[in-house]
Amino acid sequence: MVADATPVRSTGERPVWLVGLAMWQLLLGVATAVGFGMVASSTGIEIVGTPRPLTMAALGIFSILALLAATWIWRFDHRGRLIAFILNLVLAAVAGFFTLQAVNVFNGLDALSATFGDGLPFLAVIAVGWLLSGWSRGRSGRWERILLTASRGLMIVGAAALLLSVGLIPGLWTFLTRIVLPPAIIYLAITVFSIAALRLLKTSQVTKAFGSTSKQLEVMDGIAFVSPNILGFLAFLAGPLAISLFVSLTDWDGLSEASFIGLRNYIDLFADPFFHRSLLNILYFGLLAIPLSIIPALGLASALNMKLPGMRLFRALYFLPAVAGVVGVALIWKQLYNATIGYINYAILQGTELLNLLPFLDLTAPQPQWLSNPSTAMLSMVIVFVFSTIGFNTVLFVAGLQGVPPSLYEAAELDGAGIWGKFRNITVPVLAPTTVFVTITTTILALQLFSEPFILNAPQLSPNGPANATLTPVIYLYQNAFERFKQGYASAIGWVLFLIIFVITLIYFRTQREEGVLTK
Amino acid sequence: MKLRRLGLLFVVLAMVLAACGGDTTDTTDTTTGPEPTEAPGTTGAPDTTQAPDTTEGDGTALRWRTRPDNEEEAAVYAGISDSLAAELGVDLQYEPGGTETAGYQQTLLTELAAGTAPDVFWLPGTDIADFATRGVILDLRALADASDHNDDDFYPGPMFHLSFNPDSGNTGEVLWGLPRDVSTFALYMNVDLIQEAGVDDPRELAANGEWTWDKFVEVVDGIGALGGEVIGYGQSSWWGPYGFWINAAGGGFFNSDRTACALDTPESVAGLSALADLYATSSVVPWGEDAEPTFRAGNVGLFQNGRWATPGIRTVGFDFDVVKLPDGPAGPSNWLFWGAYVVNADTADPEAAWKLVAALTTAEVQAQVAESGANIPSRVSQEALDAFLTFTPPENNQAFLDGLSENPAAEGPLWAGSWPEFVSVMDAEVGAVVTGSKSVDDYATTICTLTEPAFAG
Repeated sequence: MVADATPVRSTGERPVWLVGLAMWQLLLGVATAVGFGMVASSTGIEIVGTPRPLTMAALGIFSILALLAATWIWRFDHRGRLIAFILNLVLAAVAGFFTLQAVNVFNGLDALSATFGDGLPFLAVIAVGWLLSGWSRGRSGRWERILLTASRGLMIVGAAALLLSVGLIPGLWTFLTRIVLPPAIIYLAITVFSIAALRLLKTSQVTKAFGSTSKQLEVMDGIAFVSPNILGFLAFLAGPLAISLFVSLTDWDGLSEASFIGLRNYIDLFADPFFHRSLLNILYFGLLAIPLSIIPALGLASALNMKLPGMRLFRALYFLPAVAGVVGVALIWKQLYNATIGYINYAILQGTELLNLLPFLDLTAPQPQWLSNPSTAMLSMVIVFVFSTIGFNTVLFVAGLQGVPPSLYEAAELDGAGIWGKFRNITVPVLAPTTVFVTITTTILALQLFSEPFILNAPQLSPNGPANATLTPVIYLYQNAFERFKQGYASAIGWVLFLIIFVITLIYFRTQREEGVLTK
Repeated sequence: MKLRRLGLLFVVLAMVLAACGGDTTDTTDTTTGPEPTEAPGTTGAPDTTQAPDTTEGDGTALRWRTRPDNEEEAAVYAGISDSLAAELGVDLQYEPGGTETAGYQQTLLTELAAGTAPDVFWLPGTDIADFATRGVILDLRALADASDHNDDDFYPGPMFHLSFNPDSGNTGEVLWGLPRDVSTFALYMNVDLIQEAGVDDPRELAANGEWTWDKFVEVVDGIGALGGEVIGYGQSSWWGPYGFWINAAGGGFFNSDRTACALDTPESVAGLSALADLYATSSVVPWGEDAEPTFRAGNVGLFQNGRWATPGIRTVGFDFDVVKLPDGPAGPSNWLFWGAYVVNADTADPEAAWKLVAALTTAEVQAQVAESGANIPSRVSQEALDAFLTFTPPENNQAFLDGLSENPAAEGPLWAGSWPEFVSVMDAEVGAVVTGSKSVDDYATTICTLTEPAFAG
């Protein structure tokens, strides 16, 4: 072995760092292979249910790649460097996460909220110091220095007091007592070694030894930069999607061992009358709710785009339902919809009595059972959905309208175009890309309808509503997953719904592209 | 600039370290609920059941959860948790679970799958089978037999299901938990409306043994005749209220061993038919509408609900009381609602968890909870019943206790199938009959076929 930093590949002698790197990869490969065996045979590591095959797959793939990386590193092959870089990046993130989990930081963060209030007065001290530092600028030289120093001192003292009051010292002690014990110390060691390997892999001596080109280095840098996003994507989106796809091929109930049943869930789904009913319901809902959420929003946006006093206030008011929580909005509508004491029926009653004051009129006030009548139940959901969505769509259209050149309208006016002519020939075509976006997002939201029927129907009726009138695919998915212990079946519902939404969106995209609204 | 970044990094790391020292004990919201209704100073010497032996302080920590009906009840449970922690010598963390509409069971299921569920938690009676058959709750029989527990101390209805062994079909071999409390249905009365309508007082009719379905309809019609916004009767549309009518006619949801549907028997159909007639011809809050707000607004004469609704109804601005449910063709009938404290099968300390369950179901603790007015103690104890009668209003608490002795059908899980699937079909079909969109005859010929998949296993 050669100890200096400039190994000579041609001599066949390998520096210490290369040996260390290769050994580290070999160790990882062997350890994960052993882990694979232990999980497979349930010896030492017992994982039941769906996580078991997925854990085995992850360990197996990691092991193979680590061993390959070790081999290639030994041969000064850049592929080994790249793979080792990726593996150690993932390992550092995962081991770091497990380290924090082992010392109970995540539960502690939750508990921090209980003690954080103690530190608020000191937060005020920091704020005062910060304000003082801002105020100090512009003073005469000597005073500026004094005030700046004082403000910094105040901020440092405040910060120290804040940290002490929220429990830094006991926290530090607890952290130290936990981190030295297994498994935390093991996870920490893995994290540290992974990070050390990452730093080593990025050094110039490694670049020279492997003869890496600048393009290859760029690839490594690029991976490093996108890794947080990719890891998040894998952990919170791609990973759960993959797990869901696997679960949809099993009869997993969420608690016990899963059995692979192939496409049985999908076959049962296509013969399930409740699923058919949910699709019909959501089709009916979509045909009403989507146009009602978009067309009026466009008209409203045109009105709000006028340069009249108070328009900003109206824009904010119309946007309020979009930012108000859907639960709060639905609860209020539930009270409004009450057939016996709700305000909507009361208003109808009072309005009818008013009309009956006219001679020769003797009307009977209709008192619809908005939520409990199958004929009006889904219509009630449409109204709430439109109420919540129209504001957001309006704001998007207003933003789009801001980009329409005024000269187009001026030219149209000179040509004698009226309001409707300008709207039809200028506003609508120019807003086409915005309309596409609004249509797609509203369609996706509509097809995933869940909150409104879930909240509006409870507790008198199940989310299915009267005679299953408000049963939607997502409601059915929820019931199967969390009430009937059918995680596999629910996952299949999720994937079928995904495919339906995907196909609809794809068709819409294609048609818009063909019409020239969207460029390729 | 570098110094500022380092400073910021230091603060972030320090906060993370501070988090490690955060107090992770009870984070229950201690918001004080409304003042409990005035109850007598004593809880009437309930059973002097021995509290479990105090455990030597050994650092055992247990999390436990129940589903309180309101904030006041949550505060009572929090207080009980603190006193039991001292008594048992364990670190107890009480977690008030969500409401019925906030996914209490669904949250629990997710936590069980993730391995983060509490050590002890409450389950509705109908869910016991689903959790027991999947091995996520502990069989407490061995621990119970090693203590002074006696199954006969509790009402037999819940204990039948809590001691049912699905493998052998026998009772008494296992113990899935202990019932927290029980409840029955009664009719909440707007006394002001009844007097205004000039109809017979249901309480007097009940005392004279004349409180039948026919008399009930007479009273409802009489109140409804007041006109305007006044309605004679209201009930919820879940299985409990309409199930009473089926049971009181001599029918039921299931056959005797709960392995098949019995909704198509002549008695069951007769009961549902009577309910449908009531909705078709009398003044009733429309099916599927929430009758409680209308009752609380003073517009409904009679409102069927359980004891758990009492704390909320105590705030109404009119004179109210309760009366037992009317006697059906098969005689008096009622439901016995219950839920149980069960132990997580993955708990680190089963013995401590069992002691907690036993402590939570002593007569003393149950009396504390019952004092807030929500439910009836689940222990068969005359002292507890006598004490319950003093928790007024309503004055006629006896109406709830009558339900205990009038052939109540105990709510229970479906060991032979899926209760959620059965209820889903039953709710829709019953609703169709009551609203007139399906005839009773069609219902009778199809209902048990439609519910068959629920028994498919």
